[in-house]
Amino acid sequence: MTAKKLGPYQTLKAEGTYKIGADKPTIAFNRIGKRGVRRYDGYAKASGKALYTRDVLLPGMLYSKVLASPFAHAKILRLDTRQAEAYPGVRTVLRFDDPAIHGRELTGSIAGPTRMAPQSAGWAMLPVKTILGDEAIFEGQMVGVAVCADSEQIAAEALKRVKIEWEQRPILLDQEEALQPEAPILIPGADSNQIIDERELTTKGDVEQGFQEAEQIVEFTARRHAHLWAGAELPCVIANWSGDKLEMWVHEQQPYLSKLILSEQLNIPMNKIQTHSLYQGCSFGERCNPSNWHQNGINVLAVLLARKAGRPVKLVLNRAETFYGESGDVMASHFKVGAKQDGTITAVQMKSVFANYMCTTGVEHLIDNTRISHLRCEGITAHVNKPPAWWCRCEQLPNVFCQTLIFDHVADALGLDPTQVALRNDGCEGHDPSYLSEFKRRHGFPDRDSLRECIEAGRKAIGWEEKWHAPGTRRLPNGRMHGMAFTWSHDWDDTRGTGSAAVMIQNDGSVSIIAQHSDVGVNPWTAYMQIVADELGVPYEDIEINPFDLNVGFALMSPDGSCNLGSNGFVVKKAAQKAKQMLLDLASEKFDRPADALDVKESVVFEKARPENRMPLKEVVKMATPMLNAVGIWTEPPVLAWAWHTHGLWGQALETGRPRMCRQANFIEIEVDTETGEVFVTKVVNVNDVGQAISPETVEGQMYGGTYMGLGRALTEEMVWDPSTGVLLNRNLLDYKYATLLDYPEAECIYLETGLGHGPYGSTGIGENTATMIPGLLGPAVYNAIGQRVDDFPITPHKVLKALGKIKE
Amino acid sequence: MRTFAHFNARTVDEVVSILRRYGERAHVIAGGTDLLGKMKDELLPKYPEALVNIKSIPGLEYIREDHGTLQIGALTRLEDIAADPLVRGKYNALAEATRRAASPHLREMGTLGGNICQDIRCWYYRHPDNRFPCLRKGGGRCYAMNGENRYHSIFGANVEQGCYAVHPSDTAPALIALNAKVKTSRRTLAVEDLFEVRVGKTTVLDSDEIVTAFEVPTPAKATKSSFVKFALRKTIDFPIVNCAAMIASEGGRVTAARVCLNAVYVKPYRATKAEEFMAGQPINEANAEAAGDAVVSDAKPLQHNGYMVQIAKVMVKRAILACRSEAPPAQT
Repeated sequence: MTAKKLGPYQTLKAEGTYKIGADKPTIAFNRIGKRGVRRYDGYAKASGKALYTRDVLLPGMLYSKVLASPFAHAKILRLDTRQAEAYPGVRTVLRFDDPAIHGRELTGSIAGPTRMAPQSAGWAMLPVKTILGDEAIFEGQMVGVAVCADSEQIAAEALKRVKIEWEQRPILLDQEEALQPEAPILIPGADSNQIIDERELTTKGDVEQGFQEAEQIVEFTARRHAHLWAGAELPCVIANWSGDKLEMWVHEQQPYLSKLILSEQLNIPMNKIQTHSLYQGCSFGERCNPSNWHQNGINVLAVLLARKAGRPVKLVLNRAETFYGESGDVMASHFKVGAKQDGTITAVQMKSVFANYMCTTGVEHLIDNTRISHLRCEGITAHVNKPPAWWCRCEQLPNVFCQTLIFDHVADALGLDPTQVALRNDGCEGHDPSYLSEFKRRHGFPDRDSLRECIEAGRKAIGWEEKWHAPGTRRLPNGRMHGMAFTWSHDWDDTRGTGSAAVMIQNDGSVSIIAQHSDVGVNPWTAYMQIVADELGVPYEDIEINPFDLNVGFALMSPDGSCNLGSNGFVVKKAAQKAKQMLLDLASEKFDRPADALDVKESVVFEKARPENRMPLKEVVKMATPMLNAVGIWTEPPVLAWAWHTHGLWGQALETGRPRMCRQANFIEIEVDTETGEVFVTKVVNVNDVGQAISPETVEGQMYGGTYMGLGRALTEEMVWDPSTGVLLNRNLLDYKYATLLDYPEAECIYLETGLGHGPYGSTGIGENTATMIPGLLGPAVYNAIGQRVDDFPITPHKVLKALGKIKE
Repeated sequence: MRTFAHFNARTVDEVVSILRRYGERAHVIAGGTDLLGKMKDELLPKYPEALVNIKSIPGLEYIREDHGTLQIGALTRLEDIAADPLVRGKYNALAEATRRAASPHLREMGTLGGNICQDIRCWYYRHPDNRFPCLRKGGGRCYAMNGENRYHSIFGANVEQGCYAVHPSDTAPALIALNAKVKTSRRTLAVEDLFEVRVGKTTVLDSDEIVTAFEVPTPAKATKSSFVKFALRKTIDFPIVNCAAMIASEGGRVTAARVCLNAVYVKPYRATKAEEFMAGQPINEANAEAAGDAVVSDAKPLQHNGYMVQIAKVMVKRAILACRSEAPPAQT
C-alpha cells in the first residue's frame, strides 16, 4: 500500500497528535532546566503593576449585583422590584421573568466528545440549572433579580429594596440522610435524591476471589467534609457592547470556551466577541471555569445587563459569594481490603456516598498505579441543599484519599513498613512493574524504578530509618506524641488538552510567542519562553509573550486541565522548531548554503562546518516582515510558524492515552498534643519524579504551595452550615481557616528527573500533586502518633481528643 | 458601606459631648479593626449615623511606670505593648496576650482600649445583613444554642438573655489576672467589672463614656504572670480558649493567685476555683491539673463544644505552670 500524501490540515493534525514515546531533546539545554531564569510575571506581580480584571475601569461603566437567596431551599412567590428600580443611581433591573433571561440555563456547551459535556461541569448536578430563576436550592444561590447601578454600593442598596414573598421548603444537608427513605425529595417529581452517575460502579477482577486469596481482611470507614478554595481575586467579568460587537474582560481559565458558551447561549457570533483575559488572582478549576454556575452565570448576566443598559457593566462577586461552591470529595466511605502477609493487596472493595458531585470514584489511582487484581468501587451521589460541588484544584482528591488510607491501614494491620507495602503493590492496571519495564523499553523510555527512587530519596530526607515507629509508641521530651506517615502515587497525568501557538521572529530579531493563555499563577510562560529560546537558539531575554489577548487567534491549552506543560510545551516547541526551519530556509538564500548546513546560537546564524561564516539573526530577518511603503526595496514574508498539539485523552489506559511512569512520595512528621488534641506538623518531605524539570523554581514553587494548601485542607479547612436553616456560617477568611505561613514548617521539596514523563523532553506535570496528596496523609500520621484512628477530615482537636478518650462527644 | 457623619475629636470632652448628642446612634472608632468590618457587613439592625474618631486625641498613646503602676493609654497599639521592654519584663501576661492577639497588621492598627471593648464573636451574630436577628440584637432567640456551637460558651448563657456568644479578647483575661483597672471618661473601675452582657453591649460603659487608660499594679517580687492561647491557626485567629494567670509565691507555696479564662463564656471568666485550689499549694503538675479540673467542674457544654472543656482545663493548668519561678515558656 502506498502512503497517501497528507493535505496541509491532515499534516498539522498528524504532527500535533500525541504519540506515546519518549520525547528526547534534539538540542543542548541552555535555559531549560536551569535556575535563575528571570520569571516572566515576577516584576509585574511583585511590583503591583500587574493588571487584573477587577482593575479595569471603562468610561461610563456600571456595576451590577445579583440577589442571593437567604434560604437553602425556597421559591419566590412574589417579586416586587419597584422600589429598587426607583432608587437613585439604579440604571437597569433584570428580573428572572424578563424574556432576555427567563428560562436560560447554565448550559450552552453541547454534549459531545470534543466539547465540555454537561455531565463534566459543576452545575450539571444541580437539579435547578436556571441562571436567574425563581427557585433556590442552596443558600446563596443567585436568584430573582440583578440590578445595575452607578456604583456597587447603590446596586447593593437597591437589592435591599426588593420585596420578595418566599415559600420555604424542607432542606437536606447530609448526603447519607438524603438517601434515607423518609427523606424529603429535593427535586419535584423525582422518586429519590440520588443523582444518576454512570460511574456508580467500577469493577475489575472478582473481589470475592481476592478476599479468599487474602490472609488478612481490613475494614474501616472514613469521612471527608466540605472544603473549597476562595481565590485571592474575586470572580468578575466586564461586558461592553458596541453595535453588534461584544468586548469582554474575563477572569477565567478558559476564555475560548467561554466565548463558545456565550455564543451558543446568547446567539452571538464568536467572531464578534473580543475577549481579554488579564492577570488572574486565582483559578483552581472551580469558580473561574466558564462552564460552572458562578462564572457562567455572571458572564451571561453581565452581557444581558450591558445590552439592556447600553453601557459597560462590571459584575464582581464579593468575598462571601465566592464561598458558594464546594469540593467534589465530600464523602462518607467504607472500605474492605484483603492482603497477604507479605503486603500484597489482593482485593479492595469500597463504597462511598458523595454530596452533590463525585469528583472521582476513589478507585482510579488503584487501577492506574498498582498491581491489585480485584477491585470493586461503588460511588453513590445524593442531592443536598448545599452549593454545587466541583473539582477543587484537582479532581483526584477522592482517588488519593482512598489510596493513602487503604495502604496505611493494610501496612498497619500487617505490621509492615508502609514504604515496603507501596513497592510490593506498585504496578499498572493490575500488572506488576515488569509490565511497565517492557512498556518503557518499547517506547524508548529509560527503564528506571521511579517509585523506588522516590521512596529512597524521601526516606533519607525525613530520616525514616531512624524515626519511624509503631503507632502510639513515641512520646517526645516536650510531652507530645510523635507521628510519621508516608503516601505515594503516580505522577499527575491528566494529559488531555489541546493548544495552539505561533512563534514569530520580529524584524529586529526579537521573538514573540503569539497565543492567549490564562494566568493561574504557575509561571508557565517562563517555561514556554525557555523552550522557545533553546529550540530557536535565541537568548531567553529576546523572547516575549503577551498571553492576555484572545483575539490573536491562537490559544494555549487552558490551565485547568492539569496540563499546562504537557500540551503547551509541545506546542511551543514545535512552533519554535518550525520557525527555526523557516529562518534557516531564509538564511540559506543569504548564505548560499543549504538550510541544513546552518544553525543558530545566541541569535547568530552560522554555517556549521565553518562557524566563522556567520550573520546576526536580525540581519537575516531584516526584510522578513510585512512592511508598508516598501518602495524601492524588496521585502520578504515574515518568519512566523504555528503549531498545534493535543495530548491524549484523560481517563485512558496506559496503552491508549496517558503513560504514568513517574511516581511520587510524600512523607510527613508531626507531633500531637494529647491534652488539647492539637496537631503540629514539624516536617514535610515531598518527592516528585517530574521526568525533566523545565523551570526548577516553578517545580518547587508548586510543591511548596501545595504543601500549605494540603495541610490546611487536612487540619483546619471546613465549611460549616447551620443545621436548621442551611445557611453557610463561615463564608469569610477568618472563620474558614486556610493555612497561613506561620502554621506549618518549611517543606523539603525534592524533584527527581528520570526522563519517564510523557511531556516534552520527558517531563510531566507538577501543578496539582502536592495539594491533593497531603490532606489524606494526616490520617495515617495522627494514627502513627496516638495509636488511634481519626479518619474524619478535617482532623480537628475535637476529633483527636475524642479518639484519645479525653472527651465523650 | 453607607454614609455616616465623621468627627475627628480633639479632646475626651469633645467625644463625650458628641456622644451625648447622638446617643446610641454614634460609635467610637480608634483602630477600627472590629467596627469597620461590622459596618461593612451591616451586622446590626441600626447602622451608625456618626463615628467619633478618637485617634485624633493627643496623649492617649503611652506606656509608662508611675508610682508602682504601669499606665497604658487606651490608644496604645497592641504591637507597641507586645514589643515594650517594660511590659515584657514585669507584665508577661499582657505582653504575651498582645503578642498573640490577631495578626501583625491588626496589631499595628488595633488598640488596647479597642481590644477590651470589642464586640462578641458568634457566627450567627456576625452573619452579614442581620441574617440571624438574635437575642443580642434585640431579637427573639439564640441560634447557636441548638445550632453550630463549636466555639460557644461552655459555662452557660447569660442568665437574662440566653446568649451563648463568647467574649473573644486576648488582653481582657491578662488585664484581669494582673488586677488592672480601667479609667474611663467618667470613672475608674476594675477591668473585671467592665464587662456586662446586654443587647448591643459588652461593657457597663454608658453611651457617652469612653475608655481612656489602663492602670496595672506592678506585681510584687516573686510574682509571675502568664498567658496561653489555644487557636486553630497561629496567625489571626481568635482564641478557642485563652487563659491568663498571675501567681505570687513564698517559700515555694502560692500566696495569691488570679486566673482568668476567655472565649469560654459570655464575658471573661474568672477561674476562682483554680485560685482557691492553688492557695497555699506549691505550683506543680498535679496541683495545676487539679486546679484546671476544679474550674471546669461546673462547665455546661453544648452539643458541639465539649472539647472546649478539656482545652479550658489544660489552658488553666498551663497558665499556672508557666508561673513557676523557673518555668519554661508555655507551649501553647
